[in-house]
Amino acid sequence: MMDGTLIPWLLAGLPLLGVLACLPFQSDPERLKRSAVAWALISLGSVVAFAGRMDVAPEGLLPLYLLPLAATISILGQPVHEHHRLSWMLTLLFLGLGISALNSRPPISLLSLTLLLILIAGLLYRHHSTLWPRSWWGIGTYSLGALGAAVAAAADAPLSSIASLLACAVLLPLVPFHDGHVTALTRLPGSLPSFIVVLLPLVGLHGLATAMPSVPDIVAWAMSLFALVGASYGALKALAQSRVRLLLAYGSLSFFSILWWFAAASRTATPRAALLVGTVGLATSGLMVAWQVIRTRYGDDVDPQAISGLAAGMPQYAVLLSLLALAAMGLPPFGVFAGFMGLLLSPPFPSLAGLFVTLLAWLAASWYIMQMVQRLLFGIRRPELRYTDLLRSELASLLIVVLVLLALGLAPTTLFAAEGTVLDTDTIGESPTWNH
Amino acid sequence: MTLVLLVPLLLLTAACIVLFGRGGSEYARAKTAAYPVGAAFLGAAATLYLVATEGPVSIRFYNLSSAASFAIPIGFYVDRLSAVMMTLITGVSVIIYSYSTGYMYQDRHARRYLAMICLTDFVLICMVSSANLMMLFLFWQILSYLLYVLAHNHAHPGTLGGAFKTFTLLRVADTAFLAGIALAYQLYGTLEFQDLFARAADTRVMLSLWPGMEVSGATVVTLLFFVGAMGKSAQFPIHLWLPGSLFAPTPVHALLHAGIINAGGFLINRLAPLFGLSSTTLHVAFVVGTLTAILGASMMLAQNDIKKTLGFSTIGQMGYMIMECGLGAFALAVFHLIAHGLFKATVFLNCGNVIHKARQEPHFPHVDHQTEEPGLSRLTWFTGFVTTLFIPLLILLVTHGVLRIPLLESQGTVIFLFFIWITSSQAILTLTRLRQVASWKVSAAMLMTLLFIVFVYLFAVESFTQFLYPDPEEVASYFKAADLTDWLFDLMIVTATILTVAGWFYLYMSAHGMSVRMPAWIDGVRIRLYLPFMNRLYADELYALAGQTIMRVVHQLDKRERGWSQ
Repeated sequence: MMDGTLIPWLLAGLPLLGVLACLPFQSDPERLKRSAVAWALISLGSVVAFAGRMDVAPEGLLPLYLLPLAATISILGQPVHEHHRLSWMLTLLFLGLGISALNSRPPISLLSLTLLLILIAGLLYRHHSTLWPRSWWGIGTYSLGALGAAVAAAADAPLSSIASLLACAVLLPLVPFHDGHVTALTRLPGSLPSFIVVLLPLVGLHGLATAMPSVPDIVAWAMSLFALVGASYGALKALAQSRVRLLLAYGSLSFFSILWWFAAASRTATPRAALLVGTVGLATSGLMVAWQVIRTRYGDDVDPQAISGLAAGMPQYAVLLSLLALAAMGLPPFGVFAGFMGLLLSPPFPSLAGLFVTLLAWLAASWYIMQMVQRLLFGIRRPELRYTDLLRSELASLLIVVLVLLALGLAPTTLFAAEGTVLDTDTIGESPTWNH
Repeated sequence: MTLVLLVPLLLLTAACIVLFGRGGSEYARAKTAAYPVGAAFLGAAATLYLVATEGPVSIRFYNLSSAASFAIPIGFYVDRLSAVMMTLITGVSVIIYSYSTGYMYQDRHARRYLAMICLTDFVLICMVSSANLMMLFLFWQILSYLLYVLAHNHAHPGTLGGAFKTFTLLRVADTAFLAGIALAYQLYGTLEFQDLFARAADTRVMLSLWPGMEVSGATVVTLLFFVGAMGKSAQFPIHLWLPGSLFAPTPVHALLHAGIINAGGFLINRLAPLFGLSSTTLHVAFVVGTLTAILGASMMLAQNDIKKTLGFSTIGQMGYMIMECGLGAFALAVFHLIAHGLFKATVFLNCGNVIHKARQEPHFPHVDHQTEEPGLSRLTWFTGFVTTLFIPLLILLVTHGVLRIPLLESQGTVIFLFFIWITSSQAILTLTRLRQVASWKVSAAMLMTLLFIVFVYLFAVESFTQFLYPDPEEVASYFKAADLTDWLFDLMIVTATILTVAGWFYLYMSAHGMSVRMPAWIDGVRIRLYLPFMNRLYADELYALAGQTIMRVVHQLDKRERGWSQ
């Protein structure tokens, strides 16, 4: 039998081993992709196999399941092309570092996190373009996050708590540290954006669960304020976007800010929080893969306004995109809705005004996402466009996302963690500040 | 117990039969699927009998002591209200489905359409038989999306715009509903209907919305639920989605106007014990309902297309239904929605024929009817007199003496009687314009029919109320909670009386060639009002303007901010 202390090393090591195993196939993109998918699946299998023998974090095991799954769908959804080779291998590398950050003990976890953030900042620097001067802000934000993680590893409390919280605000984007999230989702190549949108927020949530209990009240209050500003800001910015990746980046920022608001009130990260973060990330990831399908067919710089009538020409794509959009909007029976409801029903929430803002952010999603989907799928069928429905790997990728989101919406949360009394609490006697 | 589960499952089976199968067998499958739909109706009728004789049926697939175990707690609670709604929905579905198989024959999208109809029925059944607020909201939301899908034709820009409007407006109302659920859970710690009602009645919570202003928790929660109900039942000012969805196939409208739109009335009835705790919410419902009824009916009169006319008629009727809820007459609202549902489904299914016929006959409707005779006979005036003065007195005596309804203690009943009076007077006023009725036989038949209808209606409503709410004290408590302030009540009664008598007076004067002295501005207003009502009070334009303004502000903010989009 394997020693329990070796399990985190094994789980983190398998994807890294995968990177090495992929190296010989560099000249054959098809085999490289197949190998990368296989190693991501092996990683998923190993998490499932060792789930019963691991220490369970406050947010449960769901993040550990979701990371290899997100890596699988991100790689699977990409077309076979030599330009994507590096992104596939980096996806495996980030998967290994992410699992290590989630599952190892400090300081290994914090060092993995630091390395992960440095690598992403480096990648953003490599893909920096003078046309996107704002990406310096993203590079700076991730560097700040890396610094925060390093300080958290080296310093003592309370400095380590504050530094850790700073790193969390970069990972699980919180205004004003959201530039990294937006840059990563818009500038990184290949399968990386669709993976990173799941990876970093889940790692951030894990850090939040550790840091929150020791955060001073004033900081928690400021976080709560930033969260409400972020939820509104993300929704407003998403409404104003015409570019799909930006829309998704700001939309996810809005939903992640909602989570921050609840986390600031409860001072912890529950499995329900993990459900919301994981499903928002996964739904955004699915939409990014779906947008990649369009880019594969009509070019990287395609204007979404120039595409319409996909519902008639690409029926499979239309159905899956509609379902993904429903999930991303937070409609039942998908996981985002279940996570959101889980938090709404976790007593107590601090203010009615905050509830109002979060609900408005939730409502706004149905406007900007619906508008995007309606524009792409419906309208006139354009004769100049060639409509080719989903290839097998694209279909598999999108189908997996939809089914997982559906399963997460219907499955009991106790499947991922023992959550005794979150909803059973009798709230009448608790008297939040706004009722008596 | 199995019977209750069988009803939604049969509808789901019908959807699967239509959806899956080899190519070329679509029509045969569509015909086959009618059997499970019919069986679902029989199952619903049997459930109604079962529930009426043996009491409510409760099935829960989750642990009641731990609602946390499932993200969405699936369970069924079928009482008399649910069973009645199930029977209505499945009954209407049988008719609509059978009609649709012929109506959509050889249509390219018939398979998708018929499957969606069955799926919508399934969702409706699950919604009305939900065991808790969470499940009800789940299906409520799915219904909003299905409505969007059913109402839109993706190749037609007008329909697409209407469907998008439907979706967004319903989402606004759904968000309020969700806020209500979150707040109810925070205040009372449960979403199970019976527990929620018991805890809300036992625990009077006050909320501080801002310093110095405190509102009862039940009022805030029920107001939020009421906004949710307003959305589905197309209440002013979120009624716009209904006329916007009129491009959809005719059977969809039959289902929409006979089933889906009743969701608001059902929600208020399902939560009646909670609404009964807040007089404020009931008064708001009364005002919104009355306003919707008046505006809906007025706009209906000014429309020039059959579907829009029927659409606004539905809005008016829904307003009337919500007004009934606002008066505490919850059972009457259900009775009304059943009657209206059956009537409107019939009318919508027939309106296609009317349009078809009108296209074939250039002079349809006929214009060669006889010109009206000038003046009114004495008999006509006598009929009118009996209608407006004698019948109301008779109704008051019968309700007070025979049906033992304590009129002096029940404002709601008095208001309804006055509404019946106004409505019947309006009917008589309309009928007396046909001069041919001015014979003893016709007048007598008309009066007898009117009396018969009114008394049967009163009897049916009273019996139905006893069926849905067997405890008379509960019914009385709702009426009590809905009581208006005395001056308002008196004002309404006096206004209703003046309007009816003035109507007769005006008619009499006009018929005898006497000029009615009216200020010029009244005539001017009457003419000026026609245009706004014909244009549906420019509400579409106002909403579009609001949307454009919001987007302009958003874009300006985006530009000012150091944005990525620049």
